[in-house]
Amino acid sequence: MLERIFIFLFLPSVLAAQLCKPDAPEGFKVRLSIKTALQDEAYEWDGNERFLFQATLAFAMSRHTRQEFNVSNILVCDETPRVSFWFVVTSPDDPSQLINRGKVEAAVRMSRNRINSAFLLSDETLEFVGILPTLAAPVEPASPPWLIVFGVVMGLVGAGIVFLLVSTVLQKRRKKNQEGDEGDDDEEARVKTAENGCRSDGIYNTSFSEDEPNTQM
Amino acid sequence: MAKDARDNWENPMQFVLACVSYAVGLGNVWRFPYLCQMHGGGGFLIPYLLMLVLEGVPLFYLELAIGQKMRLGSIGAWTAISPYLGGLGLASVVTSLYLCLYYNIINAWSFWYLFHSFQSVLPWAACPLNANRTGPSEECERATPTQYFFYRETLNISPSIEENGGIHTGQALCFLLAWVITYLFIVRGVKSTGKVVYFTATFPYVVLFIYLIRGFTLHGAINGIKYMFTPKMEELANPTTWINAATQIFFSLGLGFGSLIAFASYNQYHNNFERQAIIVSLINSGTSIFSSVVTFAIYGFKATVNYENCLERTRILLLNTFSLSEDSITIDNVFERIVELNTTHPEQFAELNGKLEDCNLESELSTAVEGTGLAFIVYSEAIKNMPLSQLWSVLYFIMLLMLGMGSMLGNITAIITPLRDFKVLSCISTEVFNGIVCFICLLLGLGFTTTSGNYWFTMFNDYGATFSLLFIVLIEVITVSYIYGIKRFERDIEDMLGHRPNWYWKIMWAGVSPLLLIGLFLFYIINYIQGGTPTYQAWNKDLGKSEQIEYPLFGQAFIGLLLASSVSCVPLTALYVFCQRRKHAQRHMQQHTVNTVAA
Repeated sequence: MLERIFIFLFLPSVLAAQLCKPDAPEGFKVRLSIKTALQDEAYEWDGNERFLFQATLAFAMSRHTRQEFNVSNILVCDETPRVSFWFVVTSPDDPSQLINRGKVEAAVRMSRNRINSAFLLSDETLEFVGILPTLAAPVEPASPPWLIVFGVVMGLVGAGIVFLLVSTVLQKRRKKNQEGDEGDDDEEARVKTAENGCRSDGIYNTSFSEDEPNTQM
Repeated sequence: MAKDARDNWENPMQFVLACVSYAVGLGNVWRFPYLCQMHGGGGFLIPYLLMLVLEGVPLFYLELAIGQKMRLGSIGAWTAISPYLGGLGLASVVTSLYLCLYYNIINAWSFWYLFHSFQSVLPWAACPLNANRTGPSEECERATPTQYFFYRETLNISPSIEENGGIHTGQALCFLLAWVITYLFIVRGVKSTGKVVYFTATFPYVVLFIYLIRGFTLHGAINGIKYMFTPKMEELANPTTWINAATQIFFSLGLGFGSLIAFASYNQYHNNFERQAIIVSLINSGTSIFSSVVTFAIYGFKATVNYENCLERTRILLLNTFSLSEDSITIDNVFERIVELNTTHPEQFAELNGKLEDCNLESELSTAVEGTGLAFIVYSEAIKNMPLSQLWSVLYFIMLLMLGMGSMLGNITAIITPLRDFKVLSCISTEVFNGIVCFICLLLGLGFTTTSGNYWFTMFNDYGATFSLLFIVLIEVITVSYIYGIKRFERDIEDMLGHRPNWYWKIMWAGVSPLLLIGLFLFYIINYIQGGTPTYQAWNKDLGKSEQIEYPLFGQAFIGLLLASSVSCVPLTALYVFCQRRKHAQRHMQQHTVNTVAA
């Protein structure tokens, strides 16, 4: 009788020990990097924190499967100073039955940010080994920002060119009107305009070119 | 005395700033620090400064003198010196044309990066996600985010020069903008260029100074500076050091393109260009040294950050493998703990062997990069780690733009000035002519915005100008010293400046510089012959890094065409002029005989 009582008392923990072990088939390894994330405000990993973990996992499982999970359904084992451990999830109906790995993964994925914020950690500092985080979609603005800046600069430059060209044309027209008024008395002016318009022979340094007639003595 | 119809700089300061803006370009920022690193840090300054004295300043002086005396662009000036050597000017124009085609693509890239800096997170700071959003894209994983942004998002590079996708529209737009701005800067010729150079010459120094302060205050910058300044004197025994110093001085000053002749042709006749030549050369070298100090501070920062990240990754790996508490290993004692753990847990440690990285600060510092890799990959990697990275990014790329645009002004002026000296073309108004030249260069340069464009760019960069310039400047200095005559040249300078050049200049022009150039020329030829098939760096997206591939046959043919097209201008023009004169002389003889008969 007494043995039966003992077996009955120790059965759950024995069962737990058998169900939850490192590399358990339906288990996951969790790794926390509390000091890396929080530095001075880091908290110690103790029984209370473990309890919080079990509670958040139970919450995640309940949320995903619509079944009522209890803290005692989450079994935690093999804790190391790193702060890493293994956990398995047992079914609320039958404590000796483990919940499928896939279901646990889906539940964790669904409530990942809730679990993270319970511990003030992030996807990198609270790792579920084997469960890849779904990275946030990059924010795609309606029009790429670089095009906007490009448009502004191009517009300014275009306006500058148009302004310069128009002012050149206006200057030329003004000069032509002025010359038409002055008349043809000023010969120098005429020579100047001829030179300005189309460079005839320019300032060709004839003294440096070889003079054929001279050498053909 | 009829009024001079040629445009002029408004004051000598504009001319000096234009030369500074032209000479101080991207090479000062991305080539000199690399050479410094490769050839023994501070010790490299000895051959560099020596070469400046032996060939840099004398050749610079020579080109300015010719431009100011002849008051024509390169074709007209060399034709005036000796009619058979008009081809020299033509070769300069062809080389400048090649340079104009490919140089503006760098400005396009600078614009691309500049416009992309106006985002909350710099796009090259993190990898974009792959399709399932489970992690970063594979190509980005294997390479680094900055490399991915440059090769994939900026260039969309193809695996080799033979494969060609279409034009990258973003690139093409930035390229168009670069040419539109170039046109804006030169639209009225020297009148507009003269005003622009006030800004393009001075702004880069402001940014460099700001970066100097920022660089020195960065974590780990001192490692880079120490690495640069510890001279390795044994490098001076290596002939490559001296050759690289000579070529760097030569290309950095922009000799042989005809830009200096073009700029000087707009000077007043009695402008004191001797002093200006010395000033500009010294400013150019000083800027190289200044920017390499900044670059090494940035190198040191980047290397230290990478090294510490490596240590951090190793620490996490050790913690996870041995399940130790987090504060048992810190960054400082990683190496001691590795040794400890190796002795206490040998079997577990053996499992780690493949994954343990070798973190070495020296090797991070010694990864020397030059060219576009330095400017767009290494620098942007350093910038993303700085606080307020958007501001630093904007400043940096505006500086690159100023440097690049300033050099473009010289390049395009080198084409426009000699062409406008021809009667036929001078009838078109300045604005229209400049617009046509810019438009043609834009159309031809669109090829560089395609997916294989970067490979063509590298080809032009390596072969388009280097060899032809050496040839051109060698012929230049021999022409002036021996064909035109040092005596005549002396008299011209005395006419302009009021005093003759002293013995130092004459010895350099007649003796030292030609010998140096012949030496460099021979070295290049030997290198080409010995080097075998020319190769280029192609980006392999599966490996996430560049690898060397040989140029295909059409690539090698094109390289040959590039080299031959500019170099052959000289003999072909001389031949053409010779034939013209023979025909002219024969006709003259016939006329004479006719006249005597009639008389």
